[in-house]
Amino acid sequence: MMTIQAREGHTAPTNESQRSRWPSVASAAKRGDGRRWKKYTLRRFADDAFTYTTLIIVSLIFVFPCLWLVLASFSKSGSLYDMRGFFPAEYSAQTFVELFTDDVNGLYPYKKWFMNTLYVSSMSCIFGTILVILTGYVMSKFNFKGRNGVKKLTLVLGMFPGFMGMTAIYIIMAQLNLLNRLEALIFLYSATAPMGYLVQKGYFDSIPNNIQDAARIDGASNLQIFWKITMPLSKPMLVYTALTQFAWPWSDCLLPKLILKSRDQWTVAVGLYSMPETHFSRFAAGSVFIAVPIVILYFFLVKHIVSGLTAGAVKG
Amino acid sequence: MAQARLKETQAKENIFFYRLMQALAKIWKAPWQVKASVLVMGLGQICYGQIIKGLIYLACLAGLIWYFVTTGAADFIGFFTLGTQQEDLWLGIPGDNSMNMLILGIFAIVIGLFGILLWITNMKDCLFTAEEVKAGRKPRSFRETLRHMADDKFHVTALTLPMVGVTIFSVLPIVFMILIAFTNLGGDVVYPKLADWSFDAWSKLLNVDKLSGTFGKILSWNVLWAISTTLINFLGGLGLALLLNKPNVKGKKIWRAFPILAYAIPGFISMLGFKFMFSQSGPINSMLTSAGHDAIFFLTNDASAKWWARGIGLFVNAWIAIPSLMLMMTGYLGNINTDMYEAAELDGASKFQQFRKITLPFVIFSTTPVLIGQFVGNFNNFGIFFFMRSGVISNYGDYFLASDTDLLINWLYNLSVDNNYYSVGAAISLIIFMITSTVSLAVYVRSNAYKQEDTYQ
Repeated sequence: MMTIQAREGHTAPTNESQRSRWPSVASAAKRGDGRRWKKYTLRRFADDAFTYTTLIIVSLIFVFPCLWLVLASFSKSGSLYDMRGFFPAEYSAQTFVELFTDDVNGLYPYKKWFMNTLYVSSMSCIFGTILVILTGYVMSKFNFKGRNGVKKLTLVLGMFPGFMGMTAIYIIMAQLNLLNRLEALIFLYSATAPMGYLVQKGYFDSIPNNIQDAARIDGASNLQIFWKITMPLSKPMLVYTALTQFAWPWSDCLLPKLILKSRDQWTVAVGLYSMPETHFSRFAAGSVFIAVPIVILYFFLVKHIVSGLTAGAVKG
Repeated sequence: MAQARLKETQAKENIFFYRLMQALAKIWKAPWQVKASVLVMGLGQICYGQIIKGLIYLACLAGLIWYFVTTGAADFIGFFTLGTQQEDLWLGIPGDNSMNMLILGIFAIVIGLFGILLWITNMKDCLFTAEEVKAGRKPRSFRETLRHMADDKFHVTALTLPMVGVTIFSVLPIVFMILIAFTNLGGDVVYPKLADWSFDAWSKLLNVDKLSGTFGKILSWNVLWAISTTLINFLGGLGLALLLNKPNVKGKKIWRAFPILAYAIPGFISMLGFKFMFSQSGPINSMLTSAGHDAIFFLTNDASAKWWARGIGLFVNAWIAIPSLMLMMTGYLGNINTDMYEAAELDGASKFQQFRKITLPFVIFSTTPVLIGQFVGNFNNFGIFFFMRSGVISNYGDYFLASDTDLLINWLYNLSVDNNYYSVGAAISLIIFMITSTVSLAVYVRSNAYKQEDTYQ
């Protein structure tokens, strides 16, 4: 799966020369027709013009809202009403300072929210990744009684609307005395993570079984095979899993909103959701601050993400 | 085929019965230690000298008994009665809370099933040891047991924790919601009133005009939304991938970075950002008013906002979802055999024909599961209208606790989380489940990805 990008990079140029240039040039040369050659370049120019205009428009559509938020976070006045159209009236980095120093009488304790989010996300990332990887591995490589049953059951469970059981989760958390505590979220995110094991299973399916069999013959136990042979081979999938397990709590708003009641227990997502238009640049600054790390992560790991996205899809 | 399957299940049932008899016979013939284990979990293991394992089983048994004596048995009965004692403030008698009783009852059943499972493994384990001893070998030491668990029983050991987690936090809540749909909980019937089992919610949903009218309107919009947004996103992602895949595009990495940027930003930030952008005093409206135009009610609570808000929803969802689909499609397009295009070119096929006859079938072939996932996800796309139009209740259009952009899932949230209409909400979620599962199973079973699932192994 890792090779997709590389392969694509290699084939694209040869592809081009075979696909569009070669037949046309050849036919033009055969006929000795100069006008056809000219028409070809004209078509090529039109094609280029069309391609690049579309690309520029599409890129603008994608980049403009992000740019707008970044600009707004540097607005001196905090309110949405004081902006001149899309642009702030005056620029200053004040909002970023205020974000951490001034919590408006305990209304927006961003520093606390940020630490809460970091705690929940990293803990759920660790436990969730372990559970999903184990589930995906076992479901892919072991043939045991009830395997198909488990497979069908998770498929059916996955069809239920995601937070259908929210009332129930609320009651369970109340019974466990975990309401208004961050640990409740960690439990929830990690415990429900194995439901999405299909991507991981798809990846492990693509690792040939004979590696496993060879190790077996050499006397390795199943635990050793998993830990010493499969894991080192699965770095891309580990990275992808960890990233998704981290990003989900990082940007989820619903469960924290249900479980966390007091303001200083909130996560950033709930906090940002609560901000009104008069605190717009605070919202923008807070968003930029938590979006930047995750954006950087995504850019570094885009290869792994592509392999993860396609691995899950092909195998279903 | 169906007949063959029927026969198969019949055979399985017979085998099950046969196996049960066989197991009973085995235990009957087994030495006294096994019988001790049948009576008291772990006793047999202790008698064989497997002290630690036996004590663990014994501790589990003690825990189970303690649980059922203190609360479990009462919870189990409460599952059927859903409470008998209404709160009496005059006499100071605390009443039963039907909702808690329902969930604790389910929990008791789960624990009971777990106990039976443990009891069976305990007997199996003891039988195994008895056979070992009969064959002249020593019973396994605790360390050997651990090694056995890490090797031959690796799958059981590894799956235990995920199973427990999923059971408590996924299965149990869903079972609870399914059962709630068949009670009269919610509306007026909330604590301290006692609930009962009934089909109230379903008859309400069909017969009460307020509910059935809203349901019909929301359902039709939901279907329209799911189909159109899935199509837009799919075509958009494919188009963008094809565009970036064109041989004459230079600097592919840079062009690709913009969609990836949109993909990496947490979804709720994008949605809230767009909400501010289209808000009543947001930049677009302020530009409109400064150009002499009246402000448009994009997302606000107004009858004219209906199609604006729906359109904006489609746009924002496309903005969020197209980049990931683009990445996926890029991966697939790299897998197409380029010889096919060459052959098509020589045969005089136009670019469009090549796209229709080669690219599209291939992409659809490999993305059917993704498409289903997208459809189901979009059918239940809670976030988009939750973030962009929260708090909007469209009274003007006879919507009951919903706005004209709400999907069934948003309505379900309004009903059951915000307004305590538990049973109606649960009934709606069952309907959502029926729709999404029927559609996806129908498509999935026919797709090639399902039929050839194991060909790669």
